[in-house]
Amino acid sequence: MSSIFSKDISRRSVLAGAGAFGAASLAFPNMAVSADGSVLTIRSYSDLQLLDPAFWLSLPEADIMRSIFAPLVSNQSGDEWAWRPVAVDSIEQLDDLTIAFKLRDKIGFTDGYGQMTADDVKFSIERIADPANESPYAGDWSALKEVEVKDTLSGLIHLKNKFVPLWTTTLPTPASCIVSRKAVGELGGKIGTEPVAQSGPYLLTEWVPKQKTVLTRNPDWAYEQGGYEEIHILPIEDPATAELGFEAGDLDYTWTSVSSLPRLKENPPAGSVVVEKPSLAYVWLGMNKDNETLKDVRIRRAIQHAIDREIVVDAAYFGAASVGNGIIAPGLPGSRDSVTYDYDPDKARALLEEAGATNLTVTLDILNQSERLTAAQVIQANLADVGINCEIKQNDSGTFWTLGSKDGDYFMDLQLVLSRFSMNPDPSWATVWFTPEQVGVWNWERFNDADYKALHEEGLVESDPAKRDEIYRKMQDLMDESGCYVFLTHEVVGLIHKDTVDPGLKPNGEPLLPLFKPA
Amino acid sequence: MSEVVSNPPGRVAEIWRPIRKILREPLGALGLFLVLLVIFGAVFADFLTSYDPTRINPRARFQGPGAEHLLGTDQLGRDLFARVLHGGRIALYVALVSTAVSLAIGIVLGLIAGYGPRWLDNLMILLFDAMKSFPTVMLALALVTLMGPSLTAVMVVVILVTVPGYARIIRTQTIALKSSEYVTAAQSMGASSARILRVHILPNVIGPLVILASMDIPVVIGIEAGMSFLGLGVRPPTPSWGSILNDGFTGIRDSAWIAIAGGVPIIITTLGFTFLGETLRDVFDPRLKGR
Repeated sequence: MSSIFSKDISRRSVLAGAGAFGAASLAFPNMAVSADGSVLTIRSYSDLQLLDPAFWLSLPEADIMRSIFAPLVSNQSGDEWAWRPVAVDSIEQLDDLTIAFKLRDKIGFTDGYGQMTADDVKFSIERIADPANESPYAGDWSALKEVEVKDTLSGLIHLKNKFVPLWTTTLPTPASCIVSRKAVGELGGKIGTEPVAQSGPYLLTEWVPKQKTVLTRNPDWAYEQGGYEEIHILPIEDPATAELGFEAGDLDYTWTSVSSLPRLKENPPAGSVVVEKPSLAYVWLGMNKDNETLKDVRIRRAIQHAIDREIVVDAAYFGAASVGNGIIAPGLPGSRDSVTYDYDPDKARALLEEAGATNLTVTLDILNQSERLTAAQVIQANLADVGINCEIKQNDSGTFWTLGSKDGDYFMDLQLVLSRFSMNPDPSWATVWFTPEQVGVWNWERFNDADYKALHEEGLVESDPAKRDEIYRKMQDLMDESGCYVFLTHEVVGLIHKDTVDPGLKPNGEPLLPLFKPA
Repeated sequence: MSEVVSNPPGRVAEIWRPIRKILREPLGALGLFLVLLVIFGAVFADFLTSYDPTRINPRARFQGPGAEHLLGTDQLGRDLFARVLHGGRIALYVALVSTAVSLAIGIVLGLIAGYGPRWLDNLMILLFDAMKSFPTVMLALALVTLMGPSLTAVMVVVILVTVPGYARIIRTQTIALKSSEYVTAAQSMGASSARILRVHILPNVIGPLVILASMDIPVVIGIEAGMSFLGLGVRPPTPSWGSILNDGFTGIRDSAWIAIAGGVPIIITTLGFTFLGETLRDVFDPRLKGR
């Protein structure tokens, strides 16, 4: 009986085989990766730190969680903000205070944690809302009264009061991801980077810190299948590096830096599609009002007047983005046309003199990215112009996103920080991060204003667009008055993908991983 | 017949002789020229350009090399020629100061290890090996986490990375010399250990170390540039060749002159010090010539 193993294998034949393989790889560079569309390789701008719907830290974690923990609903791909059911067979708002849901009957948790039930829904939502758990996302469920379990698969979500952003910024976000009560209990109440009891269309099967996260199609998922057998997510912080990776064929999809968009649109790499989307995100310079150096509001106001926002944005994004005037992007209620401070270096100098601030030195913390560094250097030059010495401190993403946390040891030393928050399509999802409850969580400026909080709560129950517009404008005026903020831009979203990929994207360009499919 | 007696060589001639030897070697002459070029640029930066290397002018960003800006401008409109010259100051400052400090520490530790008791030698060897086993990048990251990114952090990294090498060489040479006849004679005449180390051993071990240090300078410049490239070195807006490279890396397809402006000085300096160091080694130890 012949066998392939009976053939002679010489050193020469091995070398010839290796050579042929190498030549084939060169001739068909993508073949080894995704010849049949089975593997999608994408870039995320940060690595995993927490895969817990109640405590996640960054957008890439949210993308992964919505893939591995089936949410009640998720966003729909396209240019309109819409949602689609994922874990539910049906979900509807019965009245202002009641939402009825019925789970799909074939969703199970991995690792032997059984079927997903209405009790798991109750647990998942109430643990986010429970103040005792100190979830940064408690605001998403601030109107929750309770989740009532009707039977194994059905239940009612009861609200204390009308909650306008429920269908835009609560349900389609990780706030509706369902986790197993039993599994989370066994983990001690918090999920880390090794999720158990996964339930979504994909499973997290491999995580190599700082290198790769692999999602694999969930073989037990009985509903709409993800478009790829595997999704490889490579954490690459700098978008310029990611662009080089894309052009080298290592990535199928990536966000680009905003500043690269004009160049990429003009000369897209062969076999690629460049997409520009309106962004809801907001970028600002924050000032920690509780820091000893910045306690005096006159100093903070001086910094507001010292910064030429037009130049900062133009320099950082090479003209691809325009100046923003708050935390709420154009098109949403509350978007402003201007801020309440202007670029006036003389006024800044006068305020500093009035405050008796001479030889002032401040530290500006930034994420280690080229656009942020460029913006920071313009801010540094603007501040030097009014007599403030500014030292720029670059941080990797792991360090940066914990700088203002009250659990760390730097939050009081933090002085100036250049931040960018992503956003969902309701103004309340921007304002919620600056409420007093968020001080030391996401509110690193430690801005603490009772009127602001009252207005935020008013906005959550107000459905008249004109009144909401007024409320949210007023809130941003209060932020201006505090001197804690210099609003810079909403950016635009730039992304690039191979023409063999049909990406699933929200209207603002954020990825919906299960909806990516081969073109 | 009168006897011709040659004059003993003067001090100037003593200095000039190795320089002549270096100049006779083509690579040595090139190395010396490149090193002097970099030093000249760094020392006379203020006279060679009227541009402030930190002055931003976004309206003049991404201008290619030309009469107005010899090496062009970067993404903030800063003159790259000025930044390269001033970046040279940082590179040379880090290289010379930290190498000098490393040499001093390495010499002291090496002498103590080589001349001291056996147990101390073993302990110090353990220390040197432990320091040497740390990957440079990991060490840099750890130190920057503790100290924050700064020029001092870069210099501490360089010192920690290079001291064990110098100390080990001095130790080996000291062990070889401490049983030599003239050292034994000095001991029998009651000379103190400090005197023996300073007068009899140090002058005989320091030569090869200086050559080694000159060859380490490109490595040090590489460490500084690498750390600044990663944002762990000098803080903006202070120019550094590494940070210029980083600025250029972002737009390498459309404005390659920025990366070139950051990269070429590193190449020139590295080649210059390497050629010079190699030639110095050949001059002072002809047995190694061509190896």
